[in-house]
Order: sequence, then C-alpha cells, then structure tokens
Amino acid sequence: MIASAAPLVFLVDDDASVRKSLARLVKTAGYETELFASVRDFLARAPYDGPCCLVLDVRMPGLTGLDLQDALRAAGQRVSIVFITGYRDVPVSVKAMKAGAVDFLTKPVDAETLLGAIRQAVARTLTDRRRQARVTEIRSRIATLTPREAAVFALVVTGMLNKQIGSELGIGEKTVKVHRARVMEKMQAGSLAELVRLADEGSVIAAGS
Amino acid sequence: MASLLPLVRRACLALLAPSWVVASPSPARAALPELVWSGDWAFWQAVAGTVLIVSLALLGIRLALERAGRRRAERSLGERLRFETLLSEQVATFSRVSGADVDRAIQRALRRIADSLSVDWGNLTEYSDDSQTARVTHGWAAEGVGPQPSAIAFEEIPWVVTRLRRGELVRFSSTEELPDGEAAVDRQTYRRLGIKSQVAVPLTVEGTVVGALAFSTVGTERVWRDEFVQRLQLLGDVFANTLSRRRSEMEGQRLRQDLAHVGRVSTMGELTASLAHELNQPLTAILSNAQAAQRILDSEGADLKVIHEILRDIVEDDKRAGEVIQRLRGFLRKGHLELSTLDIGELVSQVARLVSSDAIIRNVVIRLELAAGLPPVVGDRVQLQQVVLNLLMNGLDAMREAGAGERTLVLRTFMAGPASVVVAVEDSGVGIEEANLEHVFHAFYTTKPDGLGMGLAIARSIVEAHGGRLDARNNLQGGATFSFTLPIIEEAA
Repeated sequence: MIASAAPLVFLVDDDASVRKSLARLVKTAGYETELFASVRDFLARAPYDGPCCLVLDVRMPGLTGLDLQDALRAAGQRVSIVFITGYRDVPVSVKAMKAGAVDFLTKPVDAETLLGAIRQAVARTLTDRRRQARVTEIRSRIATLTPREAAVFALVVTGMLNKQIGSELGIGEKTVKVHRARVMEKMQAGSLAELVRLADEGSVIAAGS
Repeated sequence: MASLLPLVRRACLALLAPSWVVASPSPARAALPELVWSGDWAFWQAVAGTVLIVSLALLGIRLALERAGRRRAERSLGERLRFETLLSEQVATFSRVSGADVDRAIQRALRRIADSLSVDWGNLTEYSDDSQTARVTHGWAAEGVGPQPSAIAFEEIPWVVTRLRRGELVRFSSTEELPDGEAAVDRQTYRRLGIKSQVAVPLTVEGTVVGALAFSTVGTERVWRDEFVQRLQLLGDVFANTLSRRRSEMEGQRLRQDLAHVGRVSTMGELTASLAHELNQPLTAILSNAQAAQRILDSEGADLKVIHEILRDIVEDDKRAGEVIQRLRGFLRKGHLELSTLDIGELVSQVARLVSSDAIIRNVVIRLELAAGLPPVVGDRVQLQQVVLNLLMNGLDAMREAGAGERTLVLRTFMAGPASVVVAVEDSGVGIEEANLEHVFHAFYTTKPDGLGMGLAIARSIVEAHGGRLDARNNLQGGATFSFTLPIIEEAA
C-alpha cells in the first residue's frame, strides 16, 4: 500500500486499444494504472485502500459502469468514479452524477479534461475516505453512551437548559449535570459548540445512510 | 340472209387461208377460190374444223390463265401465311419476353420481318418532345445498304410525324406520292437519305403515340400491300405493348430500389448509436495516444521506442475507423442488383459484428451457430446484408419489450434439403400474436412507435428476388424466429 506512492487509476473499458491508450496518457501524469476489460474482472480484485480513482466506461458487455457504481456503493467502498462514454445520454449521466460520479466525459476525451477529472477524483476519494473515517469514529464514541446519556446528549445539543432537560426526562437537575459531564468526556468534546458539531457530523451522515 | 352468206364464206376463207396455203401445193392454192365458191361438203368440213380449233384455243388460253391466276393466288397465300406465321411467332415471343430481353427480342423480330419482306431498313423510333426528335431505339439494315440515321428531327419530316402522331399510318411507294405542298420538306429529307418507299405505323401506349415502327426501301420503289400494312399495325401494337410493359417493370424496379434504400437509411438511423460507438472507440484511442505522445516528448528523457509503439497503434486505430466508415458506405449504397458468389456464414457474421455494440447497449447476447462448409449462394451482398441486419434489429427490438432474464439472439445457418441454405434469427422476446404472423410482412405494418413498417416487406421482396422464402414463426419456448432460404449454386455434374 505504501509501496506505490503514486495514486492508482483503475481503467475499465471493454475496448483493448482504448484501454491501452488511456493508460499511456494517464501514466504520463505520474499515475499508476491497472486495466480491466470488464466490470466482473474489476470486482474480482481485492479492494484497494490507497489513493486511487476509477475511470469507467458506461456501456460494456455484461455488467455496465452504472452497475459497478451501485455495487461499490452497496459494498461501502469509497472510490471516486470518472465515467467515459461514447454516447451523450443525459438520463444516464444525471443518474451517475447523482450517485456521486466526479465527471461524465464523452469519448473521445481530451487529455487535460481527463487528467483534471482524475486529479479531482483521486482527491475526492481521499476526502470521502477521511470523512467516512471520522463518521465511523464519532459513531463509535456515540456507541459508548448509556441510554440515559444518549437521551441527555440528544437534548443538550438542541440548546435546552439542564432544568428543562430534567423536567423533560423526569430526573433531577443535578443528575442531568452528571450525565452531561459524562457525555462531554465520552464524546471527547471540549465545549458545547464542539459537542454540537460532533452531533451534526454524526447524525447528518447517519441520516444519509 | 342471202347477203350474209358471202360474208361468212369470206371470213372462213380468210381464217383458213394461211393453213391452206401452207399445206397445199400451188395448184390447189390456185383452185381455192373455186372451192370456196362451190359450197360443197369439203368447205363445211373446213368451217367445222376451224370452229373446233378456235374453241380449243380459247379453252387452252382460259385454262392457262386460270392456272396462272391460281398459282399467283397460291403464291400470295403462301406469302401471307408465312408472314402470319412470323407475326404470330412474334406475338407469342413478346408475350413471354422478360424486361431484360426486350431489346434483343425486338432486334431479332425486326431482322426476321425485314428479311422476309426483303426491305432495306427496319426501325423502331421513340419520340422525344424534349429534343423534338424521333430517336431510333432499335434498327436493322440489310447487307450492302448503308446504316440508317440514328435520329431524325421532327422538323425534317413534319408531315409524316404529324400524321403518325394522330395515330394514322404512313405509306408511300415512291417519294412522288408524298403531297407536294405540305410534305415537300419530308420528300426532300427522304431523297437526301435515299429512301424511295416506306411504310410506318404509330406505336400507341395508353392512348399516346410514343414512337413508330417503320420499314423502308433504299434505291428501289416498292408497293406496300394493304393486308401487309394492316398486319404491320398489329405488330406495332405488340411492340408498343411490350415496351410499355418494360417501362412499368423498370418503374417497379426503381421503386423497389428506392424503397430498399429508404429501408437501409431508416435501419441506419436505428444503428446510429452503435456506429457512433464503433467510430468513437478508435477515435478515442487515437486522441489519447497522440496526446500521450505529446506529453512524453515534452518530458525529459523521452523514450523513442514508446513513441514508435504509439504511432503504430495510432495507424492501426485509424485503419479501424476507416473500415467502419467503409462498411457504412457500402451499406448505404443505392443501386442495382450486383450478383456475386457469397459465403453466407461470412455475410451473417459480418452483419452480426455490425450490430454487436448495439446488442451490448441493449444487454443482449448474440450467439452464432453457423454450420461449417455450407455451399456458396449467388446474390447481392448488400441487399442480403440488409435482410440479415433487418432481422437482427427486429430481434433486438422484440427483446426490448421483454422483461429481465436471458436475452439471447441466436443466429443460425444450416442446410435445408439438398438445394437451399437457411438463415434463421431466433429471439427470446415477446413473440408475435398468431393473428399477425403474416401481417408482419405487409408494407406499412409496424408495432414500433417510430417504425416505418417497411423493413420486413422489403426484406421479403429481396429474398424472393433471390429465389428464396422469408417466414416467421413463434418459438415453443417463447420469442419468434425469422428465417429465410436461399438456393445454393448447383454443382456442375
């Protein structure tokens, strides 16, 4: 993983000469490449954790590029995708972009455009993975809260005072204070503002998935 | 009565005198008047003999005249019979002759008729209002006679053309017979051409005179008999009929070609997406390779070996793009039937390759099951390609409506009996309603929202023009099969 410092670009296209020429071009920008003739071939490869992106033909025999996008999402693999296609198919491109594609390029594709999209995709893969890691971290912290602490946490971040929370939950104000301190500690939040941000990050992603 | 007798005597004497003079010695000659006047038995014997001889002579003359007349009648009857036979042969020939053989048949008929009539020139002319000329479409000239002109302007023979165009026939035994004032120009023209006599009948198609059939003599004058002229009019009608039939046949053929072209173009429209893809692949490779090469050359320590490889690949992909365009061109070409010997398996796989990317888009697998070693067929490559393409595209369309599941199009070739090969396209689509199985071949029948309904109608007419059959049936396990037969080339035994 650390062995290759250069980001890895996966190229999936059923046309051998397209594959070969794209790989040559991508290599000139300093990327490593791995070539696949079909979606099935790519899925057979072990997931890659390093910086990478996917350059994917939309229409291929067997599974299509869109099928691969779905499969990766379902598997929770974060690899940004640059689609390339021979057809200007608006509904398909809208669908791909909504599902998180970085770009949807039409063949023949200009070097600058493609390399720009690849650069963006590699960066997107990294930020996606970082965000994903953070969400996982926040969720794991939330998981350590007791049910009572979780209830207090949910009300604190809405801006309620301890007294209000106490009457809401039917417990004393002092008890609320104790739970609140535990929440701050377990969530590793130094201030109320930070706690709110953690709740926001965690729940936004939680609502989204 | 008494005054009449001496007259009779004298007449008889005058009649008999020469034989008498020749047959008798001179004393008898001297005695002649005596004998005549004597009124004896010998005289009356002589009279009777004379009457007998005269009667016999008259009878003989009459018999001879009758025999001559009969012979003449027989001869004329024979001539007429020969001509009638010739004519009925022509009528029979022309009722059977096909469009392609019409010219040769007319040429042959002209020669035979001109031969049997021993005329010098025979021709069929076609009137053109655009150029105001009568153009010879078929001509025949006897040996030793110069060639006839290939066209005559209307203004050179105004009187003749006017009469023919009114549907009247023109006949003259010598140019003197042409009326002085109105046909003066015509007469001049015929004299210039050396034509002495002519008979011409109009050729009428659907009430319009389109040309004329004419026979002429050069150098000698000729009387054209009525019955011959009548018969010639009949022959003219036969020619006109044949020419008009050919015209409509050609019209039909052109229409069929136009339709086939429309069919190809509309099928082409359906194929645009897949062709764009086919062209795009090599173009993409070329652009990426070229830009990669530029970047390599811009960098330090450029590897020339890699540049060489890139250039070679660019050339290859360029050729590939050229082939796609070539295929497209060949397919769109509009034209006549070009017959050649074909390997049907090869033709089928070529078309399958043409739709392969389209099949991918539609998520259909095309499977080829081609029998090995099939005998060759004779046909028009482009037209047969079109038939196969049409059936393939229909198969793909049929499966669009089918639900998910196995989408396979099987393309088969095999022998059917000893004399024909079969190409079958089997889809796993929705099939055809039994009631519509035959309708699908009718023109303008379509189930597709954007279809013309011409594809299968054209395909069937093409297959039938190749001596084959195109049929449709539903498969037991779902979907439909369209198959057509083509006769194989018979091995020379």
